[in-house]
Amino acid sequence: MPFNSIPAKDFLNRESELAYLRRLPEMKSDGLTGNVILQGSRGIGKTELLKQLYCTLFREEGAIPFYYSFRTANLKGNYFARDYFARFVRQYLAFLRKEPSLAENVSEPVQKLMPLISSLGLEWLLECMADFEAHLDNNDLYWQVVAAISAPLTAARKGGSPVFVMLDDFDAAENLYESVRGDAHGLTSLFSEPMKNSLCPHVITGASAALEAIFADQALIGDVERLRLGALPEDLARQLFRSLLGKLKLSCAEGETLEFLRVLQGNPRYIRNLAATARKMQKNNLAEKDLVECYSVEVSEGETAIYWSSVLSRNTRDVAHRRVMIKLLMHAVEGTGVESERLSRVMGLRESETGAALDELQTSGMLRDKDPLLHDVIRGLFLKEIEGRTAEQVRETIEKKYTRVNTESCFELVIPMEVNAELVAAGAVEQIGKNLGLDNDFLSFLQLALIEVCINAIEHSGSHDRRILVKFISRPDDIEITIESAGRPFTLDSLQAVPADEKLRNGQKRGWGFRLISGIMDNVKVERVGDRTRVMLTKNIKRKEVLQ
Amino acid sequence: MNPAQFTVDSRLDGDTAVIYPKGYLNNLAGESLVAECGRYTGKGIRKIVLNFGGTGLINSIGISLLLQIIEDLRTIEGTVCFSDMSKFQIDTLDMLGLLKHLRIFPAESEALQYLGAGTV
Repeated sequence: MPFNSIPAKDFLNRESELAYLRRLPEMKSDGLTGNVILQGSRGIGKTELLKQLYCTLFREEGAIPFYYSFRTANLKGNYFARDYFARFVRQYLAFLRKEPSLAENVSEPVQKLMPLISSLGLEWLLECMADFEAHLDNNDLYWQVVAAISAPLTAARKGGSPVFVMLDDFDAAENLYESVRGDAHGLTSLFSEPMKNSLCPHVITGASAALEAIFADQALIGDVERLRLGALPEDLARQLFRSLLGKLKLSCAEGETLEFLRVLQGNPRYIRNLAATARKMQKNNLAEKDLVECYSVEVSEGETAIYWSSVLSRNTRDVAHRRVMIKLLMHAVEGTGVESERLSRVMGLRESETGAALDELQTSGMLRDKDPLLHDVIRGLFLKEIEGRTAEQVRETIEKKYTRVNTESCFELVIPMEVNAELVAAGAVEQIGKNLGLDNDFLSFLQLALIEVCINAIEHSGSHDRRILVKFISRPDDIEITIESAGRPFTLDSLQAVPADEKLRNGQKRGWGFRLISGIMDNVKVERVGDRTRVMLTKNIKRKEVLQ
Repeated sequence: MNPAQFTVDSRLDGDTAVIYPKGYLNNLAGESLVAECGRYTGKGIRKIVLNFGGTGLINSIGISLLLQIIEDLRTIEGTVCFSDMSKFQIDTLDMLGLLKHLRIFPAESEALQYLGAGTV
């Protein structure tokens, strides 16, 4: 319901967007703008902005706000029509009487409001209700939906005040159906008439890719502008978190900087959910390590995990399809790319199947580059549903990742498989090592080991994409280098270290690379990730190797 | 490390060729070094000093091409000496168990002196 918004003082950093939207009825009436699609990643606060806007307009005497959420709606056509119509009537009356309870009491049949409607002299609304009832009696779905969707416009024309329509998760309207799912495509185009009318400004939210597809439709194309909601800046994210903790009677440890909150990328939903988990876990006097603990619970089994899991469920048909989707998501998270052709080969799917699944994931908003939390949720889903790990094991994996992060520096580099490209990677090692104060010989050995792995990939992988991903993670006690490339696999077993004397005796001059790598590094591991080979090199750093 | 483009210079000191590989010693560079040695052995020179003072990293293919040079010289009953190697370069060869198969001298002059002593 639109009235269950957060207190306005906790609604941070959206003042300009709110002010802009408040002026929308006036601007649309003057032909200065059209309807607005609110864009922004899931959880960024689009719904909350609608609710704040609703509450603001509700207190005023101008445009009459109407909020409808498709997320929770029954999408069977006749149920939807009844629900949409009834909610509109209630919210309209609630506004006129300034009584929120009228809008909230959805269990009461709308017919019971007729005396009130009569007392307000809204004869046109009674007629409108009678017409709608007639469509119901005729069991005419098309006209039921038309009548419901047109109700705000009718009210604006008859009542004399613009009606501000807020359609939340509007992309779900594409799934409206008559008897079985998929039997009534195109019902969303019925929104075109109220949307095009200057008396009915619309603000719409939903998954960006899905909305773009809807508004590319001939019926809806036209006067739509996009308003993008960005993440909360770091200071406001921390302020919001502290404020939420305060409300939950929790606090942060003295001097705690809440650096870890960066991983939430200023997403208000994530911030709220993390605070709620802290309460559930009865954490008080929170330190950074408590945040990590709460976070690992939240992304493995908390509200955020459930939320994303349900988003995935909405886009999956059955268990097998869900497993495919999770594997595809994991490929995206691991940075191995989401090219349909390659993934089809890796996963043994037809390219059309992979392409369709990737499209569905794109539409769902789950394919996102810059959302570390979502990536951790996906890792959790993969560990649980594909690898069969327990929730506790998932928690531990996530927690371990972040308890190390504070002391880690991470660099990534992609080099082409070209002559001397390995020197670019070696140059990066040199600078990273200098940052750590490592001595030159130590660095030269690291460079040599890295060069050997790179030239092995260049010479033997037969990779088509001709690229090598190099990732450096430096910690106070070790440095880890991961080298990953597509193409032909190899294993450590295939690289036998033949003694030098024997090699020379046999006239074998090549094949020193692995001996160098294993001689230099403390740990060498080779993995196969899809169609890619990943070599992980670890070198411990001893005190004497750090320049004083 | 000196990632500069590989070059190879050389000079003749009596009956000994002194060769200066400079830069990163990989496959291409190694091959040009082998060719430079071949240029001298083709003229009948059987003593070679490889001065690594200007050489940076030597990768495994570079090492295999150094072994190729040693073998080429051995075939013609010649000798190759390495000089001016950095500690890192020597440690790398040691790691591979190759030191005992090589003649390594701290300075070019010492290598020349050794070859001049008629140990071929």
